[in-house]
Amino acid sequence: MPFAGVGVGLRSPHLDPVAALDAAPVPFWEIAPENVVGLGGARQRKTLAILERDDVLTHGLSMSMGGFEAWAPEVLDRLVAFLKTTGTPWHSEHLCWSSHGGTHSHELLPLPFTREAVKHTVARVKGLQARLPVPFLLENISYYAELGASEMSERDFLLEVLEGADCGWLLDVNNVYVNSVNHGFDPRAWLTGMPLHRVAQIHIACHTWLPEEGVLLDTHGAPVADPVRDLLAWLLPRLGRPVPVLLERDHAIPDLEELLAERASLQSLYDRVLAGAAHA
Amino acid sequence: MPESRLARLQAAALDLALDPDPGAFGRDPEAWAHLHRLSAPDGAALARHQTGWTLYRNLIRTTLGEPLEDALPLTKALLEAAGAWEALLSAFLASRPALAPYYRDIPASFVAWLADSGWGQDRWPCLLQLAHYEAVELDVMRAPDEPPPPDLEPEPAPDRVAVLDPAARNLAYGYAVQQATEAAPEPPPGCAWLLCHRDHEGAFHVLELTPHVSALLARSQEGQALGPALEALGADPGEAFALLRDLRQRGAILGFRPT
Repeated sequence: MPFAGVGVGLRSPHLDPVAALDAAPVPFWEIAPENVVGLGGARQRKTLAILERDDVLTHGLSMSMGGFEAWAPEVLDRLVAFLKTTGTPWHSEHLCWSSHGGTHSHELLPLPFTREAVKHTVARVKGLQARLPVPFLLENISYYAELGASEMSERDFLLEVLEGADCGWLLDVNNVYVNSVNHGFDPRAWLTGMPLHRVAQIHIACHTWLPEEGVLLDTHGAPVADPVRDLLAWLLPRLGRPVPVLLERDHAIPDLEELLAERASLQSLYDRVLAGAAHA
Repeated sequence: MPESRLARLQAAALDLALDPDPGAFGRDPEAWAHLHRLSAPDGAALARHQTGWTLYRNLIRTTLGEPLEDALPLTKALLEAAGAWEALLSAFLASRPALAPYYRDIPASFVAWLADSGWGQDRWPCLLQLAHYEAVELDVMRAPDEPPPPDLEPEPAPDRVAVLDPAARNLAYGYAVQQATEAAPEPPPGCAWLLCHRDHEGAFHVLELTPHVSALLARSQEGQALGPALEALGADPGEAFALLRDLRQRGAILGFRPT
Protein backbone atom coordinates (compact mmCIF):
# COMPACT_ATOMS: atom_id res chain seq x y z
CA MET A 1 0.00 0.00 0.00
CA PRO A 2 2.36 2.74 -1.19
CA PHE A 3 -0.01 5.68 -1.04
CA ALA A 4 -0.27 6.31 2.66
CA GLY A 5 1.77 8.44 5.00
CA VAL A 6 3.08 11.91 4.28
CA GLY A 7 4.56 12.76 0.87
CA VAL A 8 6.15 15.91 -0.49
CA GLY A 9 5.83 17.93 -3.67
CA LEU A 10 8.85 17.34 -5.91
CA ARG A 11 10.33 20.77 -6.62
CA SER A 12 13.09 21.89 -8.98
CA PRO A 13 15.65 22.94 -6.29
CA HIS A 14 15.57 19.39 -4.89
CA LEU A 15 16.10 17.46 -8.11
CA ASP A 16 19.87 17.06 -7.74
CA PRO A 17 19.91 15.83 -4.12
CA VAL A 18 16.88 13.57 -4.65
CA ALA A 19 18.31 12.06 -7.84
CA ALA A 20 21.58 11.34 -6.00
CA LEU A 21 19.81 9.14 -3.44
CA ASP A 22 19.57 5.37 -3.85
CA ALA A 23 15.91 5.31 -2.87
CA ALA A 24 13.00 7.64 -2.25
CA PRO A 25 13.26 9.60 1.01
CA VAL A 26 9.45 9.93 1.12
CA PRO A 27 6.53 7.50 0.68
CA PHE A 28 5.57 9.36 -2.49
CA TRP A 29 6.04 12.58 -4.40
CA GLU A 30 3.44 14.81 -5.96
CA ILE A 31 4.15 16.56 -9.25
CA ALA A 32 2.29 18.88 -11.62
CA PRO A 33 2.21 17.46 -15.16
CA GLU A 34 2.31 21.02 -16.54
CA ASN A 35 5.85 21.38 -15.20
CA VAL A 36 7.10 18.26 -16.96
CA VAL A 37 5.23 17.37 -20.14
CA GLY A 38 6.61 18.39 -23.51
CA LEU A 39 10.01 19.38 -22.13
CA GLY A 40 13.53 18.06 -22.58
CA GLY A 41 17.01 18.73 -21.25
CA ALA A 42 19.04 17.59 -18.28
CA ARG A 43 16.55 18.61 -15.57
CA GLN A 44 13.78 16.84 -17.40
CA ARG A 45 15.81 13.64 -17.63
CA LYS A 46 16.54 13.88 -13.90
CA THR A 47 12.86 14.42 -13.08
CA LEU A 48 11.76 11.47 -15.18
CA ALA A 49 14.40 9.22 -13.59
CA ILE A 50 13.09 10.11 -10.11
CA LEU A 51 9.49 9.52 -11.19
CA GLU A 52 10.44 6.13 -12.62
CA ARG A 53 12.21 5.13 -9.38
CA ASP A 54 9.68 6.50 -6.88
CA ASP A 55 5.93 6.49 -6.34
CA VAL A 56 4.15 9.60 -7.55
CA LEU A 57 0.76 11.30 -7.44
CA THR A 58 -0.12 13.88 -10.09
CA HIS A 59 -1.80 17.19 -9.39
CA GLY A 60 -2.85 19.57 -12.17
CA LEU A 61 -2.80 23.35 -12.05
CA SER A 62 -4.32 24.67 -15.20
CA MET A 63 -7.38 22.85 -16.52
CA SER A 64 -9.73 25.61 -15.27
CA MET A 65 -12.42 23.13 -14.30
CA GLY A 66 -15.15 25.77 -13.96
CA GLY A 67 -14.04 27.73 -17.02
CA PHE A 68 -15.16 27.67 -20.63
CA GLU A 69 -11.92 27.09 -22.53
CA ALA A 70 -11.84 23.88 -24.53
CA TRP A 71 -8.87 21.70 -23.65
CA ALA A 72 -6.46 21.56 -26.58
CA PRO A 73 -6.06 17.99 -27.89
CA GLU A 74 -2.27 18.11 -27.51
CA VAL A 75 -2.61 19.25 -23.89
CA LEU A 76 -4.97 16.37 -23.12
CA ASP A 77 -2.83 13.85 -25.01
CA ARG A 78 0.30 14.90 -23.11
CA LEU A 79 -1.57 14.73 -19.81
CA VAL A 80 -2.95 11.25 -20.49
CA ALA A 81 0.46 9.96 -21.60
CA PHE A 82 2.09 11.41 -18.48
CA LEU A 83 -0.48 9.86 -16.13
CA LYS A 84 0.14 6.48 -17.76
CA THR A 85 3.92 6.91 -17.55
CA THR A 86 3.92 7.80 -13.88
CA GLY A 87 1.44 5.09 -12.88
CA THR A 88 -0.36 7.55 -10.62
CA PRO A 89 -3.51 5.97 -9.11
CA TRP A 90 -5.50 9.21 -9.62
CA HIS A 91 -5.18 12.74 -10.92
CA SER A 92 -6.42 15.90 -9.24
CA GLU A 93 -7.32 19.48 -10.15
CA HIS A 94 -8.81 22.45 -8.30
CA LEU A 95 -12.46 23.41 -8.01
CA CYS A 96 -11.94 26.82 -9.59
CA TRP A 97 -11.61 28.65 -12.88
CA SER A 98 -8.38 30.16 -14.18
CA SER A 99 -8.80 31.19 -17.79
CA HIS A 100 -11.29 33.05 -19.96
CA GLY A 101 -11.24 34.28 -23.55
CA GLY A 102 -7.86 32.71 -24.27
CA THR A 103 -6.04 34.37 -21.38
CA HIS A 104 -4.85 32.15 -18.56
CA SER A 105 -4.55 33.93 -15.21
CA HIS A 106 -2.59 31.07 -13.64
CA GLU A 107 -4.50 31.76 -10.41
CA LEU A 108 -7.11 29.60 -8.70
CA LEU A 109 -10.17 31.85 -8.91
CA PRO A 110 -13.42 31.11 -7.09
CA LEU A 111 -16.52 30.09 -8.97
CA PRO A 112 -19.86 31.69 -8.15
CA PHE A 113 -21.71 29.59 -5.60
CA THR A 114 -24.67 29.13 -7.92
CA ARG A 115 -26.67 26.30 -9.43
CA GLU A 116 -25.50 27.36 -12.90
CA ALA A 117 -21.84 27.01 -11.84
CA VAL A 118 -22.55 23.62 -10.23
CA LYS A 119 -24.15 22.32 -13.42
CA HIS A 120 -21.41 23.71 -15.67
CA THR A 121 -18.55 22.42 -13.51
CA VAL A 122 -20.08 18.97 -13.05
CA ALA A 123 -20.32 18.64 -16.83
CA ARG A 124 -16.67 19.73 -17.26
CA VAL A 125 -15.46 17.31 -14.58
CA LYS A 126 -17.37 14.43 -16.14
CA GLY A 127 -15.98 15.38 -19.54
CA LEU A 128 -12.40 15.36 -18.29
CA GLN A 129 -12.88 12.22 -16.23
CA ALA A 130 -14.07 10.41 -19.35
CA ARG A 131 -10.75 11.27 -21.07
CA LEU A 132 -8.43 10.28 -18.23
CA PRO A 133 -7.05 6.80 -17.61
CA VAL A 134 -7.34 7.16 -13.80
CA PRO A 135 -9.98 8.42 -11.34
CA PHE A 136 -10.25 12.17 -10.92
CA LEU A 137 -10.22 14.22 -7.69
CA LEU A 138 -11.28 17.82 -7.11
CA GLU A 139 -9.55 19.98 -4.53
CA ASN A 140 -11.32 22.60 -2.43
CA ILE A 141 -9.58 26.00 -2.76
CA SER A 142 -8.99 28.99 -0.52
CA TYR A 143 -11.18 31.90 -1.60
CA TYR A 144 -10.92 35.56 -0.69
CA ALA A 145 -14.06 36.87 -2.39
CA GLU A 146 -17.33 35.65 -3.81
CA LEU A 147 -17.90 36.01 -7.54
CA GLY A 148 -21.38 37.46 -7.84
CA ALA A 149 -24.44 36.83 -5.71
CA SER A 150 -24.33 33.42 -4.06
CA GLU A 151 -27.26 31.01 -4.10
CA MET A 152 -25.65 28.62 -1.61
CA SER A 153 -22.70 28.38 0.77
CA GLU A 154 -19.22 27.42 -0.40
CA ARG A 155 -19.65 24.18 1.56
CA ASP A 156 -22.89 23.29 -0.24
CA PHE A 157 -21.34 24.29 -3.56
CA LEU A 158 -18.43 21.90 -3.04
CA LEU A 159 -20.78 19.18 -1.85
CA GLU A 160 -23.05 19.52 -4.88
CA VAL A 161 -20.13 19.44 -7.33
CA LEU A 162 -18.53 16.40 -5.69
CA GLU A 163 -21.82 14.53 -5.60
CA GLY A 164 -22.95 15.66 -9.06
CA ALA A 165 -19.65 14.74 -10.70
CA ASP A 166 -19.32 11.61 -8.55
CA CYS A 167 -15.59 12.23 -8.24
CA GLY A 168 -13.04 11.93 -5.47
CA TRP A 169 -12.07 14.72 -3.10
CA LEU A 170 -8.58 16.06 -2.55
CA LEU A 171 -9.23 17.66 0.80
CA ASP A 172 -6.92 20.64 1.41
CA VAL A 173 -6.93 21.06 5.17
CA ASN A 174 -5.10 24.38 5.03
CA ASN A 175 -7.69 25.77 2.63
CA VAL A 176 -10.51 24.75 4.97
CA TYR A 177 -8.70 26.49 7.83
CA VAL A 178 -7.93 29.63 5.77
CA ASN A 179 -11.56 29.89 4.66
CA SER A 180 -12.77 29.33 8.22
CA VAL A 181 -10.76 32.34 9.42
CA ASN A 182 -11.58 34.57 6.45
CA HIS A 183 -15.28 33.73 6.35
CA GLY A 184 -15.92 33.05 10.02
CA PHE A 185 -16.91 29.43 10.52
CA ASP A 186 -15.83 26.46 12.62
CA PRO A 187 -13.70 24.19 10.37
CA ARG A 188 -14.61 21.06 12.34
CA ALA A 189 -18.31 21.77 12.03
CA TRP A 190 -17.74 22.55 8.33
CA LEU A 191 -16.11 19.13 7.81
CA THR A 192 -18.69 17.22 9.83
CA GLY A 193 -21.29 15.84 7.47
CA MET A 194 -19.15 16.33 4.38
CA PRO A 195 -18.65 13.24 2.18
CA LEU A 196 -15.41 12.09 3.80
CA HIS A 197 -15.75 8.74 2.02
CA ARG A 198 -14.77 10.62 -1.14
CA VAL A 199 -11.44 11.82 0.31
CA ALA A 200 -8.60 10.04 -1.48
CA GLN A 201 -5.83 12.48 -0.65
CA ILE A 202 -5.13 15.38 1.71
CA HIS A 203 -3.08 18.54 1.15
CA ILE A 204 -1.47 20.39 3.99
CA ALA A 205 0.37 23.72 3.72
CA CYS A 206 0.89 27.06 5.39
CA HIS A 207 -0.67 30.50 5.22
CA THR A 208 0.23 34.14 5.88
CA TRP A 209 -1.75 36.90 7.55
CA LEU A 210 -2.11 40.07 5.45
CA PRO A 211 -2.82 42.79 8.01
CA GLU A 212 -3.67 45.48 5.47
CA GLU A 213 -6.40 43.39 3.85
CA GLY A 214 -7.31 41.50 7.02
CA VAL A 215 -7.02 38.26 5.06
CA LEU A 216 -5.32 34.94 5.71
CA LEU A 217 -3.55 34.01 2.46
CA ASP A 218 -2.77 30.45 1.36
CA THR A 219 0.94 30.84 0.54
CA HIS A 220 2.80 27.50 0.72
CA GLY A 221 5.85 29.49 1.82
CA ALA A 222 6.56 28.43 5.43
CA PRO A 223 6.15 25.44 7.76
CA VAL A 224 2.61 24.26 8.46
CA ALA A 225 0.97 26.26 11.26
CA ASP A 226 -0.17 24.57 14.47
CA PRO A 227 -3.93 25.11 13.95
CA VAL A 228 -3.66 23.33 10.59
CA ARG A 229 -1.72 20.45 12.12
CA ASP A 230 -4.39 20.25 14.83
CA LEU A 231 -7.14 20.16 12.23
CA LEU A 232 -5.31 17.39 10.36
CA ALA A 233 -4.98 15.40 13.59
CA TRP A 234 -8.71 15.84 14.22
CA LEU A 235 -9.60 14.79 10.68
CA LEU A 236 -7.41 11.72 10.10
CA PRO A 237 -9.16 9.32 12.52
CA ARG A 238 -12.54 10.37 11.11
CA LEU A 239 -11.64 9.08 7.65
CA GLY A 240 -11.67 5.47 8.82
CA ARG A 241 -8.66 4.52 6.68
CA PRO A 242 -5.12 5.76 6.02
CA VAL A 243 -5.32 8.52 3.42
CA PRO A 244 -2.08 9.95 1.93
CA VAL A 245 -1.18 13.44 3.06
CA LEU A 246 0.88 15.74 0.84
CA LEU A 247 3.00 18.52 2.31
CA GLU A 248 2.94 21.46 -0.13
CA ARG A 249 5.81 23.93 -0.32
CA ASP A 250 6.01 26.18 -3.39
CA HIS A 251 7.63 29.40 -2.17
CA ALA A 252 10.68 30.11 -0.02
CA ILE A 253 11.55 26.47 -0.61
CA PRO A 254 13.97 25.26 2.06
CA ASP A 255 16.78 22.82 1.42
CA LEU A 256 15.79 19.18 1.15
CA GLU A 257 16.98 18.27 4.64
CA GLU A 258 14.79 20.93 6.28
CA LEU A 259 11.76 19.96 4.23
CA LEU A 260 12.24 16.27 5.02
CA ALA A 261 12.48 17.14 8.72
CA GLU A 262 9.08 18.82 8.54
CA ARG A 263 7.72 15.82 6.66
CA ALA A 264 9.06 13.50 9.37
CA SER A 265 7.35 15.57 12.02
CA LEU A 266 4.04 15.35 10.15
CA GLN A 267 4.59 11.61 9.61
CA SER A 268 4.95 11.19 13.39
CA LEU A 269 1.66 13.01 13.90
CA TYR A 270 0.06 10.85 11.19
CA ASP A 271 1.32 7.59 12.74
CA ARG A 272 0.43 8.63 16.27
CA VAL A 273 -3.10 9.70 15.39
CA LEU A 274 -3.85 6.61 13.31
CA ALA A 275 -2.37 4.28 15.96
CA GLY A 276 -4.60 5.96 18.53
CA ALA A 277 -7.63 5.53 16.29
CA ALA A 278 -6.83 1.84 15.80
CA HIS A 279 -6.78 1.29 19.57
CA ALA A 280 -9.85 3.37 20.28
CA MET B 1 -26.31 31.82 -27.95
CA PRO B 2 -26.33 34.59 -25.31
CA GLU B 3 -23.39 34.66 -22.95
CA SER B 4 -24.25 33.04 -19.65
CA ARG B 5 -24.17 34.75 -16.29
CA LEU B 6 -21.22 32.55 -15.31
CA ALA B 7 -19.25 33.58 -18.40
CA ARG B 8 -20.04 37.28 -17.83
CA LEU B 9 -18.83 37.02 -14.24
CA GLN B 10 -15.58 35.38 -15.29
CA ALA B 11 -14.98 37.92 -18.06
CA ALA B 12 -15.60 40.76 -15.61
CA ALA B 13 -13.25 39.31 -13.00
CA LEU B 14 -10.48 38.93 -15.55
CA ASP B 15 -11.07 42.50 -16.79
CA LEU B 16 -10.70 43.70 -13.24
CA ALA B 17 -7.38 41.90 -12.92
CA LEU B 18 -5.89 42.88 -16.26
CA ASP B 19 -7.20 46.39 -16.95
CA PRO B 20 -4.41 48.91 -16.40
CA ASP B 21 -6.53 51.21 -14.23
CA PRO B 22 -8.65 49.61 -11.50
CA GLY B 23 -9.84 53.04 -10.37
CA ALA B 24 -13.36 52.74 -11.72
CA PHE B 25 -13.94 49.54 -9.74
CA GLY B 26 -12.49 51.11 -6.60
CA ARG B 27 -14.64 54.23 -6.86
CA ASP B 28 -17.95 52.54 -7.62
CA PRO B 29 -17.92 48.74 -7.92
CA GLU B 30 -21.64 48.52 -8.61
CA ALA B 31 -21.43 50.95 -11.53
CA TRP B 32 -18.39 49.07 -12.80
CA ALA B 33 -20.36 45.82 -12.62
CA HIS B 34 -23.23 47.42 -14.57
CA LEU B 35 -20.79 48.41 -17.32
CA HIS B 36 -19.73 44.77 -17.45
CA ARG B 37 -23.34 43.65 -18.00
CA LEU B 38 -23.69 42.14 -14.55
CA SER B 39 -26.96 42.16 -12.65
CA ALA B 40 -27.54 44.45 -9.68
CA PRO B 41 -27.24 41.57 -7.16
CA ASP B 42 -23.97 40.47 -8.75
CA GLY B 43 -22.72 44.06 -8.69
CA ALA B 44 -23.66 44.37 -5.02
CA ALA B 45 -21.78 41.15 -4.27
CA LEU B 46 -18.66 42.44 -6.02
CA ALA B 47 -18.93 45.65 -3.99
CA ARG B 48 -19.15 43.63 -0.75
CA HIS B 49 -16.06 41.66 -1.77
CA GLN B 50 -14.07 44.61 -3.13
CA THR B 51 -11.08 43.91 -0.86
CA GLY B 52 -10.92 40.30 -1.97
CA TRP B 53 -11.15 41.13 -5.67
CA THR B 54 -8.44 43.78 -5.32
CA LEU B 55 -6.31 41.08 -3.69
CA TYR B 56 -7.01 38.74 -6.61
CA ARG B 57 -5.99 41.52 -9.03
CA ASN B 58 -2.66 41.86 -7.24
CA LEU B 59 -2.14 38.09 -7.07
CA ILE B 60 -2.78 37.62 -10.79
CA ARG B 61 -0.52 40.50 -11.80
CA THR B 62 2.26 39.18 -9.57
CA THR B 63 1.82 35.62 -10.81
CA LEU B 64 2.00 36.66 -14.47
CA GLY B 65 4.84 39.15 -13.92
CA GLU B 66 7.19 36.91 -11.93
CA PRO B 67 8.26 34.59 -14.78
CA LEU B 68 9.09 37.66 -16.88
CA GLU B 69 11.21 39.18 -14.11
CA ASP B 70 13.00 35.85 -13.70
CA ALA B 71 13.55 35.16 -17.40
CA LEU B 72 14.24 38.70 -18.63
CA PRO B 73 16.47 40.44 -16.05
CA LEU B 74 18.30 42.52 -18.66
CA THR B 75 15.10 43.68 -20.31
CA LYS B 76 13.76 44.60 -16.89
CA ALA B 77 16.97 46.50 -16.03
CA LEU B 78 16.83 48.40 -19.33
CA LEU B 79 13.28 49.58 -18.70
CA GLU B 80 13.54 50.08 -14.96
CA ALA B 81 16.29 52.63 -15.55
CA ALA B 82 13.57 54.72 -17.20
CA GLY B 83 10.84 53.69 -14.77
CA ALA B 84 9.02 51.88 -17.57
CA TRP B 85 9.03 48.18 -16.55
CA GLU B 86 5.66 48.33 -14.79
CA ALA B 87 4.17 50.17 -17.77
CA LEU B 88 5.42 47.40 -20.06
CA LEU B 89 3.89 44.68 -17.86
CA SER B 90 0.66 46.61 -17.66
CA ALA B 91 0.47 47.00 -21.44
CA PHE B 92 1.16 43.30 -21.90
CA LEU B 93 -1.59 42.28 -19.47
CA ALA B 94 -4.04 44.82 -20.88
CA SER B 95 -3.60 43.25 -24.32
CA ARG B 96 -5.32 40.08 -23.02
CA PRO B 97 -2.40 37.98 -24.21
CA ALA B 98 -3.13 34.49 -25.43
CA LEU B 99 -1.58 32.62 -22.53
CA ALA B 100 -1.29 28.86 -22.73
CA PRO B 101 -2.09 26.54 -19.82
CA TYR B 102 1.66 26.08 -19.32
CA TYR B 103 3.03 28.69 -16.94
CA ARG B 104 6.49 28.17 -18.41
CA ASP B 105 5.28 29.61 -21.76
CA ILE B 106 4.66 33.13 -20.42
CA PRO B 107 8.08 34.57 -21.47
CA ALA B 108 7.63 33.26 -25.03
CA SER B 109 4.09 34.71 -25.14
CA PHE B 110 5.50 38.02 -23.94
CA VAL B 111 8.15 38.14 -26.67
CA ALA B 112 5.54 37.28 -29.30
CA TRP B 113 3.35 40.12 -28.01
CA LEU B 114 6.31 42.51 -28.03
CA ALA B 115 6.98 41.62 -31.66
CA ASP B 116 3.33 42.12 -32.63
CA SER B 117 2.70 45.27 -30.64
CA GLY B 118 6.00 47.08 -31.20
CA TRP B 119 5.61 48.46 -27.68
CA GLY B 120 8.46 50.82 -26.68
CA GLN B 121 10.55 50.10 -29.73
CA ASP B 122 10.67 53.73 -30.86
CA ARG B 123 12.42 54.60 -27.63
CA TRP B 124 14.38 51.35 -27.21
CA PRO B 125 15.02 49.91 -30.70
CA CYS B 126 16.96 47.02 -29.11
CA LEU B 127 14.06 46.03 -26.81
CA LEU B 128 12.59 43.18 -28.83
CA GLN B 129 15.97 41.68 -29.69
CA LEU B 130 17.17 41.84 -26.10
CA ALA B 131 13.98 40.20 -24.79
CA HIS B 132 14.18 37.55 -27.52
CA TYR B 133 17.81 36.78 -26.66
CA GLU B 134 16.97 36.39 -22.97
CA ALA B 135 13.98 34.14 -23.65
CA VAL B 136 16.10 31.88 -25.86
CA GLU B 137 17.86 30.44 -22.81
CA LEU B 138 14.63 28.88 -21.49
CA ASP B 139 13.73 27.76 -24.98
CA VAL B 140 17.06 25.96 -25.44
CA MET B 141 17.25 24.53 -21.93
CA ARG B 142 13.75 23.03 -22.13
CA ALA B 143 13.58 22.00 -25.78
CA PRO B 144 12.29 18.44 -26.09
CA ASP B 145 14.86 15.67 -26.45
CA GLU B 146 14.65 13.92 -29.78
CA PRO B 147 16.44 10.76 -30.93
CA PRO B 148 19.24 11.61 -33.38
CA PRO B 149 18.74 10.69 -37.03
CA PRO B 150 20.13 7.19 -37.71
CA ASP B 151 22.50 8.04 -40.57
CA LEU B 152 24.79 10.59 -38.94
CA GLU B 153 28.53 10.59 -39.56
CA PRO B 154 31.05 12.00 -37.07
CA GLU B 155 33.12 13.90 -39.66
CA PRO B 156 32.18 16.82 -41.91
CA ALA B 157 32.64 16.36 -45.67
CA PRO B 158 31.78 18.41 -48.78
CA ASP B 159 28.83 16.14 -49.63
CA ARG B 160 27.33 16.22 -46.14
CA VAL B 161 25.16 18.69 -44.21
CA ALA B 162 25.75 19.63 -40.58
CA VAL B 163 22.85 18.54 -38.37
CA LEU B 164 22.26 20.88 -35.45
CA ASP B 165 21.08 19.56 -32.12
CA PRO B 166 17.29 20.24 -32.13
CA ALA B 167 17.73 22.39 -29.02
CA ALA B 168 20.40 24.63 -30.65
CA ARG B 169 19.39 28.02 -32.08
CA ASN B 170 21.43 29.72 -34.82
CA LEU B 171 20.50 33.41 -34.37
CA ALA B 172 21.39 36.78 -35.85
CA TYR B 173 20.74 40.06 -34.04
CA GLY B 174 21.22 43.70 -35.00
CA TYR B 175 22.58 44.47 -31.53
CA ALA B 176 25.38 42.85 -29.55
CA VAL B 177 22.81 41.47 -27.12
CA GLN B 178 25.35 39.07 -25.62
CA GLN B 179 27.29 42.04 -24.26
CA ALA B 180 24.38 43.43 -22.22
CA THR B 181 24.66 43.22 -18.44
CA GLU B 182 22.32 44.26 -15.64
CA ALA B 183 24.65 47.21 -14.95
CA ALA B 184 24.70 48.18 -18.64
CA PRO B 185 21.62 46.54 -20.13
CA GLU B 186 21.45 48.49 -23.40
CA PRO B 187 23.38 46.43 -25.98
CA PRO B 188 25.57 48.35 -28.43
CA PRO B 189 24.40 48.43 -32.06
CA GLY B 190 26.21 45.97 -34.31
CA CYS B 191 25.46 42.59 -35.78
CA ALA B 192 25.81 39.51 -33.57
CA TRP B 193 25.71 35.96 -34.89
CA LEU B 194 25.10 33.63 -31.95
CA LEU B 195 24.74 29.90 -31.58
CA CYS B 196 22.79 29.15 -28.37
CA HIS B 197 22.96 25.51 -27.37
CA ARG B 198 23.17 23.08 -24.48
CA ASP B 199 26.16 20.80 -23.95
CA HIS B 200 26.22 17.07 -23.26
CA GLU B 201 25.53 17.72 -19.56
CA GLY B 202 22.64 20.05 -20.37
CA ALA B 203 24.33 23.38 -19.52
CA PHE B 204 23.46 26.45 -21.61
CA HIS B 205 26.11 28.14 -23.75
CA VAL B 206 26.26 31.05 -26.18
CA LEU B 207 28.91 30.95 -28.90
CA GLU B 208 29.72 33.97 -31.03
CA LEU B 209 30.02 32.94 -34.68
CA THR B 210 31.42 34.66 -37.72
CA PRO B 211 28.82 35.62 -40.32
CA HIS B 212 30.23 32.94 -42.62
CA VAL B 213 29.83 30.12 -40.09
CA SER B 214 26.34 31.30 -39.17
CA ALA B 215 25.41 31.34 -42.86
CA LEU B 216 27.00 27.92 -43.36
CA LEU B 217 24.87 26.44 -40.57
CA ALA B 218 21.77 28.13 -41.96
CA ARG B 219 22.44 26.70 -45.41
CA SER B 220 22.96 23.26 -43.85
CA GLN B 221 19.63 23.55 -42.07
CA GLU B 222 18.09 24.27 -45.47
CA GLY B 223 19.67 21.07 -46.85
CA GLN B 224 22.61 22.47 -48.83
CA ALA B 225 25.77 20.32 -48.66
CA LEU B 226 28.83 21.83 -46.98
CA GLY B 227 30.99 21.86 -50.14
CA PRO B 228 28.70 24.01 -52.31
CA ALA B 229 27.79 26.15 -49.31
CA LEU B 230 31.43 26.89 -48.53
CA GLU B 231 32.11 27.68 -52.17
CA ALA B 232 29.17 30.08 -52.31
CA LEU B 233 30.35 31.77 -49.13
CA GLY B 234 33.98 31.90 -50.25
CA ALA B 235 35.07 30.26 -47.00
CA ASP B 236 38.10 28.05 -46.35
CA PRO B 237 36.98 24.38 -45.98
CA GLY B 238 39.87 23.46 -43.64
CA GLU B 239 39.03 26.15 -41.09
CA ALA B 240 35.31 25.58 -41.43
CA PHE B 241 35.57 21.82 -40.93
CA ALA B 242 37.75 22.28 -37.84
CA LEU B 243 35.14 24.59 -36.37
CA LEU B 244 32.31 22.20 -37.21
CA ARG B 245 34.19 19.37 -35.47
CA ASP B 246 34.53 21.62 -32.43
CA LEU B 247 30.79 22.41 -32.45
CA ARG B 248 30.09 18.68 -32.54
CA GLN B 249 32.37 18.15 -29.54
CA ARG B 250 30.43 20.85 -27.68
CA GLY B 251 27.07 19.20 -28.40
CA ALA B 252 25.73 21.98 -30.66
CA ILE B 253 26.00 19.77 -33.76
CA LEU B 254 24.76 16.19 -33.64
CA GLY B 255 26.79 15.03 -36.64
CA PHE B 256 26.91 15.12 -40.43
CA ARG B 257 24.44 13.57 -42.82
CA PRO B 258 25.05 12.64 -46.44
CA THR B 259 22.91 14.66 -48.82
